[in-house]
Amino acid sequence: MGVFAIGTSSATVGAEIRRHRPWVRWTVVTVVLAALFLLVAQPVGWILFNSVHDDATQQWTLNNYVRLVTAKGMIQPIINSIILAFSTAAISTLLGVPLAWLVSRTNMPGRGLIRMLTLGAFVTPSFIGALGWILLAAPNAGWLNTLYRQISGGDLPLFNIYSMSGAIFVCAIYTVPYTFTIVASALDEMAVELEDAATTLGASVLRTMFSVTIPMVMPSVIVGFILSFIQGMTLFGVPAFLLTPSGTSVVTTKLAEFYQLFPPELYMAAAYCMPLLLLTGGLFWVRKKMLGRRRFVMIGGKSRAGRSINLKGWRWAGLLFALIVPVTAVILPYFALIVVSLSKAWGQGPSLSNLTFHWYRWAILENAETQAAIINSLAYAAIGASLCVLLGTLIAYIVERRLVAGTTIIAALTNLPIIIPGIVLSVGFFAAYTQPPLSLYGTSAIIIAAFVATFLPIAYSHGGAMLKGISPDLERVARILGASESKTFTSITAPLMRSGLISGWLLVFIPVMRELSVAVFLITPSTNVMTTLIYNYKDGGNYEAVAAASVLLLVVTMVVVAIAQMLSVKLAKHKRASVEPGVAQ
Amino acid sequence: MVEFTRRRFLQASGIAGAGLAAGLIRPSFAANESLHAAAQKEGALNLYWGSYEQRTIEAIRDAFTRRYPGIKVNLLRQASQTIYTRLRLELQNNAPNCDSLGSTNILHYLELKKIGALMPYKPAGTEFLPQEFQGLDKDDTFQVGAISLTSLNFQSDKVTSAPTSWEAALDAQWANKLTVGSPSFSGDVASWVVAIRKKYGDHYLQELAKLNPKVGQSNVDTVTDILSGERLVGLGAPFSYSLTQKAAGNPINVVTPTDGTILNLGLSAIPLKAPHPNAAKLFSDFLYDPEVSQILAANFWPTLRTDVPWAEGRSLSQLTWYRNPPEDLAAEVAEGIAKWKDIIG
Repeated sequence: MGVFAIGTSSATVGAEIRRHRPWVRWTVVTVVLAALFLLVAQPVGWILFNSVHDDATQQWTLNNYVRLVTAKGMIQPIINSIILAFSTAAISTLLGVPLAWLVSRTNMPGRGLIRMLTLGAFVTPSFIGALGWILLAAPNAGWLNTLYRQISGGDLPLFNIYSMSGAIFVCAIYTVPYTFTIVASALDEMAVELEDAATTLGASVLRTMFSVTIPMVMPSVIVGFILSFIQGMTLFGVPAFLLTPSGTSVVTTKLAEFYQLFPPELYMAAAYCMPLLLLTGGLFWVRKKMLGRRRFVMIGGKSRAGRSINLKGWRWAGLLFALIVPVTAVILPYFALIVVSLSKAWGQGPSLSNLTFHWYRWAILENAETQAAIINSLAYAAIGASLCVLLGTLIAYIVERRLVAGTTIIAALTNLPIIIPGIVLSVGFFAAYTQPPLSLYGTSAIIIAAFVATFLPIAYSHGGAMLKGISPDLERVARILGASESKTFTSITAPLMRSGLISGWLLVFIPVMRELSVAVFLITPSTNVMTTLIYNYKDGGNYEAVAAASVLLLVVTMVVVAIAQMLSVKLAKHKRASVEPGVAQ
Repeated sequence: MVEFTRRRFLQASGIAGAGLAAGLIRPSFAANESLHAAAQKEGALNLYWGSYEQRTIEAIRDAFTRRYPGIKVNLLRQASQTIYTRLRLELQNNAPNCDSLGSTNILHYLELKKIGALMPYKPAGTEFLPQEFQGLDKDDTFQVGAISLTSLNFQSDKVTSAPTSWEAALDAQWANKLTVGSPSFSGDVASWVVAIRKKYGDHYLQELAKLNPKVGQSNVDTVTDILSGERLVGLGAPFSYSLTQKAAGNPINVVTPTDGTILNLGLSAIPLKAPHPNAAKLFSDFLYDPEVSQILAANFWPTLRTDVPWAEGRSLSQLTWYRNPPEDLAAEVAEGIAKWKDIIG
């Protein structure tokens, strides 16, 4: 990978920039740091504060940490979570990276469809996916198992979804879209000279992919892996539904137990999250060690857009591989959910006499709660994603180009919230945003703020990965030619990041749409969102309503995603058109 | 199911409504009017309710809105423990927002009363509650808001003779066929475990473990497992919700066990710092109104008035039931969960 190492550090750009117009930089930096303090440092600070207090007496204590280490049944859930998260991340990377390559860089058939369906998996809250998979693969009554028994004539089930491997499988298929989207967006931006060189020197398609293409997008692969790992650590619905029957506890279900106790042990729960912070800190440290001294410049002065690799006879094999995620994460579970959603009484099984559109009519036309929740979800996700990407990209720029001292601390702070499970974050947000200066309780703003803070690490990591791919040379040229710092950012850096920004926006928009726990103590009846509403229906056992509302959520989210995708493609074309003449000169 | 509920409700209210409205509501009419006027001035009512599932509590809210126009009712329906935690957070951060707390755990109320966070108020109509549930708190800081029953449920197409008692469900024929919620996640299941341990000791859990029951999260999961065909008989199961599913046409039914249906009381209280105290009082009164009990009956819940019959002609007096006394309940729940984890997993 030494070929990518470029002598000059991007920090020198920062040094150059620092000499000019300091007030622009300081204004932006001050606003960003203030936002970071209010949105992130405050709530996380409250969680830390809570972790050293006693639930019963409210007094200072280290007892929660002592209990964490010594009490029975505390360590095993953490180990289980690490197993779940690591396996999820590994599978998600092994599936997501080749999938991204197939879709972005080859002439595999059905690329657009695969991209859309993979995003369909992304927009599905994983607890809904788990419900779908319970219908499909519960050991006795799961439809796939029933089918298998009929074919094989045996008694044993083909799958048992109520197992660690079942939970890993469901977590992984709904996490693949993270690695896929991040890596695909890097591949979309990548220059192809090096691939061309490898091919010219006689390397096969696969060899080129493994020794040139994937190493070039390594920053994105690692970010994808880390985000997948974090997903595996913080998801609640999947382990709650699939691991409870086997008595396997993970961090999030253990946290739910702390909340369920009387009196609820909120402070103990806060302390219980701290090992996760260390763990994630470790992951980001490893990332830094792996990537720190290398540059992964893909957009330089001579960049041009990629062209597709001809897979020849392997096209169909590629398609078969690419179908794994769409089939398992979208087609099968939504088939099951649609069948349930069209039933008068789903326990009767599918039949013509049991067919009804009542639940869709109810969800769309009759039920005011669903209507309000879908609008709220869309509005919060759109506003939250926009603010998040803006803030995350600015922080990434400040950190990558080292505009101020102490960027390591800024980076670490930005990354904190994502590893803290939503139910604990929710308490931190409550404390932080209910008191002055942010007295936001009961408003939409408190939920948007919570979403921005929670998903800031995604926007930041994605922004960082994008910036690592853009040569500081381009900014340097602009600065040498006399452009101001802000002018350079808005006319060079931002446009180069443009289509990446849209994928970044989607990377935040979608998780907000599917987030379940962060809003739990912040929502009010008028600011309710779809996921909490669906979870409530599940809590009340109303499966037909759960299924109909889930299908509705998928359709609505996909419409937004499709629009953003079209915009992204348009921008990419626009950029290609404007870059090409430059190359010719 | 909504249509069904509505029809049942209209039928029930058609029969009972006119007479009851004329005979029973009139005495408190004047007091009620002035409370309504004061509540209208407040303009809103924030309900934090975990008792009753979404549909039933929405029906109660809608009936209240019809009866008392001019008050915007904000219904936050979340799990009992979640709304309690929310209320505690509001108290800690001095951001009071809740006007009426309706949760299923009496310990919430004992604790809130201890820290002086509840407003004493005796709603009109509590005298119609079953005798044994009247005057639960001598200072009237909380009242019964829901009567919840935990019974057995079963797949009615496939099971011809369902177990008639908790003890009978331990028969070997039910091996790999039972489903039950988890006491770690569900207050109702925790109550059931406490009651069953009192009656049969840990022996019950040991025998149950041998039958390899499927352990879900909440007691509602027993219904899901039965409807999907994953399991046939549910323990610690929700009585009302199972009957709602039966009425919708699903192959499920309940058995009230001869060795004691477990009865749990949902409570209702007004926080001392409620931003809309008059609306809260009006709603508390309304809970004991015949119309609410009719809605409850239509949704297969035990009614809050002895003069409004339950659905399907059932009544409290027909049941053998047992309620865990609140003393030492917190410790018993913790112990029950620990034993459950040791024995069942």
